[in-house]
Amino acid sequence: MNEYIGIAVILVLAAGLTATMVALGSTLGKKNSTRVKLEPFECGKEPFSLPIGKLSIKFYLTAILFILFDIEVVFLYPWAVVYRTLGILGLVEMGVFLGILMVGYVYAWDTGALDWE
Amino acid sequence: MIGATLSDLGLLVPELILVGMASMLVLAARRIQRAPVAVIGTVLAALAATLVAGWDLSGGARTGFGGMITLDGYSQFFKVLIGVTLALAALLSVRSIDRDQVPRAEYHVLLLLASTGMMLAVSALDLLVVYLGLELMSICSYILVGIRVEKPTSNEAATKYFLLSSFASALLLYGISLIYGVAGTTDLASIAGAFSGQDTGSNPLLLAAIGLVTAGLAFKVSAVPFHAWVPDAYQGASTPVAAFLAAGSKAAGLAVLGRVCLVAFGSEADVLSVFLAGLAALSIVVGSFIALSQTDMKRLLAYSSITHVGYALLGLMAGTPEGVSATMTYAFFYVFMTIGTFGVISALGERGEHLDGYQGLASQRPGTAVLMLIFLLSLTGIPPTAGFVAKFVVIMSAVRAGFVVLAVLAVACSVVTAFIYMRVVVLMYMKEPQEEAPSRFPVAVSAALAVAALVTVVGGISPGILAPWAVSP
Repeated sequence: MNEYIGIAVILVLAAGLTATMVALGSTLGKKNSTRVKLEPFECGKEPFSLPIGKLSIKFYLTAILFILFDIEVVFLYPWAVVYRTLGILGLVEMGVFLGILMVGYVYAWDTGALDWE
Repeated sequence: MIGATLSDLGLLVPELILVGMASMLVLAARRIQRAPVAVIGTVLAALAATLVAGWDLSGGARTGFGGMITLDGYSQFFKVLIGVTLALAALLSVRSIDRDQVPRAEYHVLLLLASTGMMLAVSALDLLVVYLGLELMSICSYILVGIRVEKPTSNEAATKYFLLSSFASALLLYGISLIYGVAGTTDLASIAGAFSGQDTGSNPLLLAAIGLVTAGLAFKVSAVPFHAWVPDAYQGASTPVAAFLAAGSKAAGLAVLGRVCLVAFGSEADVLSVFLAGLAALSIVVGSFIALSQTDMKRLLAYSSITHVGYALLGLMAGTPEGVSATMTYAFFYVFMTIGTFGVISALGERGEHLDGYQGLASQRPGTAVLMLIFLLSLTGIPPTAGFVAKFVVIMSAVRAGFVVLAVLAVACSVVTAFIYMRVVVLMYMKEPQEEAPSRFPVAVSAALAVAALVTVVGGISPGILAPWAVSP
């Protein structure tokens, strides 16, 4: 059970810190509410809308590209950690992996997925 | 554990060839949209992969990548089958991609990658690799089904296929996780070892795990009651894509099902044969009776493919190596006859998609009518075509395993399906033509049809020709 104590400590710390911040903010802060301020904040988008509106397909492409490179980084970190034990095979396999990702990247570039206009 | 060495890559040469060609086509995608380079490249890569996959394995079976991938007679057999399917599908699509204005390079890349997924799945010795291979195949298939973006039916088909198939993938994955929970491993052989000491009847978790994995795989091969997506997907897809799905994805699914049933669940054969017998009986009956009322050729063939999967499952049901080789024979011949039938439909264009379009075809294009006749006879299971041999071996295997009632049912339903296929033959030979004669087929399409017809006839004339290769894992 001992190895879980650290997690419990983190939980208590995180909950305590968050609770303190919210409590301080709501007691000490000055309140002059407007309608806009009372809306939940969500990255400049309208927080509630019916899912029937139009959304530019470009967001989708950007999101896919983001996931592509996100996954790349996710795999690169553990690879870097065990690089020495994997040896030459690890290097070759990572080369293949990056090569395939690059093929996708070149395709996206080539077909104009990166041009916003 | 790091069990992989560079020489393990030797096990994956066919897959590497396909992926290499796919990468080259992706890089050149914008420059080759109007040239036949993509078709030629795909067919060459498919043939090269087939040759390498079929290379004599004198040293016996080899495993690699920490025991996750194998190269044995079983995986070789299916890799060759998948390679040929890819080549035939690419040849058949030369005209339809022009007519539908499909981006050529992307289309062929997706075909290549879907085949890679199939090949990986059939050579996997680990449930997770099986899952990865099947997913690679499925994701490419969704896009292939919906690649005619201007057609609403195509989009609808792709959406339905995607939603239902993802659900099935989730079932499969859940089953795999339960198996991991019970057995502590995803390696097929180790699963068998862990299961052999357990009593399935008293372990509901084990029962659920086997049921979920079987259901997930049954969806991929579209056995009833997991068949609902098939007619819509095939109808919405362009005909060569439907041929590729009906042939390749079913062969790969059956291969995986065969290996999983025999290697991993070998000790649970009693439970499994009940599941598989149910799937087989339902598929045969439902498929053949619904096909009776179809007037759209692609929907008709979709239901016919469901029936055929039911027949193929008859072999797996026995849970014996002989049964699995019967299913292998069935899968092999089924691929050629189904690709041939879809090929004729595709070559006839708009006219081929409706039953009425076949009226009087024999007087306008006797050669095409004869080809269609061969494929339809084979689908019915009439000698001397390969379809007869295929049905014979699986029904014999069912009888040997003691499923006599099911065998009688299978034979009875064969008569029902005969009515379905012979309806087309009657239209071709005994009616007057209503439409003008179809234009000449491109050489590539004729070549693909000739190969399919050749295998169908040769397989029927010399039934034992496949026996040395159809060896179970």
